[in-house]
Amino acid sequence: MKKQLIISTSIDLVRIAPEKIVYIASDGNYSTLMQTDNEVRMLSYQLGQIEKMISSQLGSEGNIFIRIGKSLIINRSYIYYINIARQKLTLSDVTSFNHSVTASKEALKQLKELLEKEVK
Amino acid sequence: MKDFKDIQDDQIRIVGQNVERKPLSRGAWVAIIALVMIAISAAALLIAQQREAQTAELSAPEPALFEPIEKVEVVEQKWLGSNVAEEREGFTEIRDTIINDIPLRIFIPHNAEMSLHIGRMDKEDKEVVYVAQAADIRADNGGIVGAFVLKGEPRAWGLSKKGFCASINGVVTVGVAENSHLFEQATEEGGYFFRQYPLVSDGQLVENEPKGKSIRRAICDRQGEIFMIESGTAESFHDFAQALVDLGVDQAVYLVGSSAYGWAVDAEGNVHEFGEDNYYTGRHRMPKNTSYIVWRKQQQEFKM
Repeated sequence: MKKQLIISTSIDLVRIAPEKIVYIASDGNYSTLMQTDNEVRMLSYQLGQIEKMISSQLGSEGNIFIRIGKSLIINRSYIYYINIARQKLTLSDVTSFNHSVTASKEALKQLKELLEKEVK
Repeated sequence: MKDFKDIQDDQIRIVGQNVERKPLSRGAWVAIIALVMIAISAAALLIAQQREAQTAELSAPEPALFEPIEKVEVVEQKWLGSNVAEEREGFTEIRDTIINDIPLRIFIPHNAEMSLHIGRMDKEDKEVVYVAQAADIRADNGGIVGAFVLKGEPRAWGLSKKGFCASINGVVTVGVAENSHLFEQATEEGGYFFRQYPLVSDGQLVENEPKGKSIRRAICDRQGEIFMIESGTAESFHDFAQALVDLGVDQAVYLVGSSAYGWAVDAEGNVHEFGEDNYYTGRHRMPKNTSYIVWRKQQQEFKM
């Protein structure tokens, strides 16, 4: 069985397959998780804590996620469009969801180079 | 183990890639070194052979690997506002135009800097050259709709609207995104950030839910020029956004429309008011979280 990510607090618990996560964004002391069914879930953890959970629970399977700057963790499977000049990153499965986020030009440049390297 | 907070906005890293690798065995190292030596010898031989061939090829033109399919069209930068000397005192240039039968008034601030303000504005503040209501207010609890940062202090969080406008270190950014690092940056660098309905994204119209007609206002980015715009007639979101697209606007985010009060100060010091100044009197109490975008005259260096 594929590993699932479990995010638990004292009163509730979210259990989700990594491929169902589009991105997780920092929202002050909280984080918001965007699911592939377009549901948005507020998590009472900072982004760094969630990154740690992904790393410890999923191990090397967690490498489908990429941390971009201080405010974003994205699922690399859904990277659809990068525009460095516009600082725009679109995450989409080209069927049911399409979400645009922004990141710094330098981070997007690095992301673009990473993806280009992977196809060589 | 890496510190999970140890990342800057201009960096990326793959999550879950801090697993330590086993060191290579001695045999593997010997094999690698042997392979490298063979590769170096082969490369040296190949280079020697190619040098002879190149001498003959130099006279022929070098073929391009790929030709551009189409020429990139250079867009000439034509700003709507006049050229204004930097030493001139700040003001708002006001221009009227009609697009698709919609009368539009364009407010172009010159030598002014944008910030946000919460609460009633001081009409006697002579440094102000433009004011308009920024974020929407929740009907249920009077809170600000969407993320809002006031001089580095986050005052509201939320994803409800995808349009955003930020003013950080004198740079105004208008855009459309569900998540923007500018929220964090505004928090860290004493900047300003708010969210509103998106109207235009990358020159394309963005559809919005509300279907009614009203006086519409927006803050726009056209070829890097930032200005505010107001419709002279009650329009739907769709028609107003289409007019902005036809004006050549690249990014536009809504500002509170209808009777929301604001004003602009032109080059002669005349005050041009819009909306209803007396709306929040009698039974209409002004919500305490009413927010404004405020353009103030830039401080000139020679001023005390």
